[in-house]
Amino acid sequence: MFWDWWQSLFTDMPAYAFFNFKFLPKYGYAVIQGVEYTLILSVVSVLLAVLPALMLATMRLSKCAPVRWLSGAYIAAFRSTPMLVQLIIIYYGVFNAILVPKFLIFGFIDSTRFIPGVVALALNSSAYVAEIFRAGILAVDSGQMEAARSLGLSQAQSMRLVILPQAIKNVLPALANEVVTMIKESSICMMLGMGEIMFAAQTISGSTYITIGPYMLAAIIYFAINYPTSKVIEHIERRMRRGDKH
Amino acid sequence: METNTDIIISVKDLVKAYNHGDVVALDHCDLDVKKGEVVAIIGPSGSGKSTLLRSLNLLEEPTSGEIDFEGVHLVSKKIDINRHRQKMGMVFQHFNLFPHKTVIENIMMAPVTLKLKTPREAQAQALKLLERVGLADKKDEYPNMLSGGQKQRIAIVRALAMEPEVMLFDEPTSALDPEMVGEVLDVMRELARDGMTMIVVTHEMGFAREVADRVIFMADGSIVEEGTPHEIFDTPKEERTQNFLSKVL
Repeated sequence: MFWDWWQSLFTDMPAYAFFNFKFLPKYGYAVIQGVEYTLILSVVSVLLAVLPALMLATMRLSKCAPVRWLSGAYIAAFRSTPMLVQLIIIYYGVFNAILVPKFLIFGFIDSTRFIPGVVALALNSSAYVAEIFRAGILAVDSGQMEAARSLGLSQAQSMRLVILPQAIKNVLPALANEVVTMIKESSICMMLGMGEIMFAAQTISGSTYITIGPYMLAAIIYFAINYPTSKVIEHIERRMRRGDKH
Repeated sequence: METNTDIIISVKDLVKAYNHGDVVALDHCDLDVKKGEVVAIIGPSGSGKSTLLRSLNLLEEPTSGEIDFEGVHLVSKKIDINRHRQKMGMVFQHFNLFPHKTVIENIMMAPVTLKLKTPREAQAQALKLLERVGLADKKDEYPNMLSGGQKQRIAIVRALAMEPEVMLFDEPTSALDPEMVGEVLDVMRELARDGMTMIVVTHEMGFAREVADRVIFMADGSIVEEGTPHEIFDTPKEERTQNFLSKVL
């Protein structure tokens, strides 16, 4: 009954209509899986990026010049080349030599595509997150490091116990924003046949001959995820700023 | 005042230059501090007082010169500066309490992290010190809930928890509202009475006159004149000292 009513909404619509969502009854599950895939892909990528980014950021602030350059070169390389190029090089180049065992994650994610994709996104994201961390560390008052060092703590202990806890709190909104960016950027993974939102849209469009509708739906979904999320982050950011005032 | 004649800190020919020598913050300074002595460093702003103090525990790396602390050359790549810093407490103008930790965590962190004390010992000691400065009831507060005077007293306690041989004070009352200066100076006065070796960069001339064994006047990165409070405040010999004192007294 519901489906009949639902389908009636989309009848008599040409294949090129913007809001031709006739495919939904049959392909709804594919869209939902695509959304799940995208969310898992972007959240996992950013989480994986955190540790390398922390390392890159501390290297970038190191006293030793070669260490600084190394980290700077990595960040420059990943920020100045298109993600698509990185993705293809890592997928077809690096993972040509590394064999990923085939299994399904959550029952629908193919590991042989997902793992190289996640690695590529995480490597890319770590360059951006490193800069976020660097700014977060530099934003902590320099007196904090001096106080910790004057008590006899080493550079590493001061970093771990005094600077990073404060830096990470400053950085959380920016990190959440990176997830939002990654939700959009991960659409590029359709190129490798990873079943995220855009891949679902492309597949549906191909098998139903509905040209624009699936992509319109993809756009609406991306917007529905990202816009509220960034609004919430903005709100949290404003509240954190208020809390910081003395 | 009778003091032990052991020299605990000895500074020889200390130079600190910035921008490849264009700016000289410290110009060949010499300073000996005896155990138990209270030394006040006064002088106009930009005279190098803070730089001299911060060089003592190498928060500023000197360009050249020597710093001996308990007979150890601190300006040397071979020594573990962290170990020697443990014995030099430092109190800053802007308190620099750790905002993400409670008062008692601020105090316990260093002794526990450096394994000088068990958490239980550190806590007992922290409570004792807090009681001494009248802030035991604030132990679970976060620093942003405290007044400036309270913050600075906690900062002093945090440094004392390391059981230092020397306490360095970098303008400890300059960032305080006037009504809070007294409570911090009281704590410092008591420390001095207990025989703590103290080096105090200060604008509080009354405190320097009353508590210090020796007053050092600095200008343009050099030590211009030093002597007892009576000598410096009542019969200054150098013209620059006289000019400065006529402005601030």
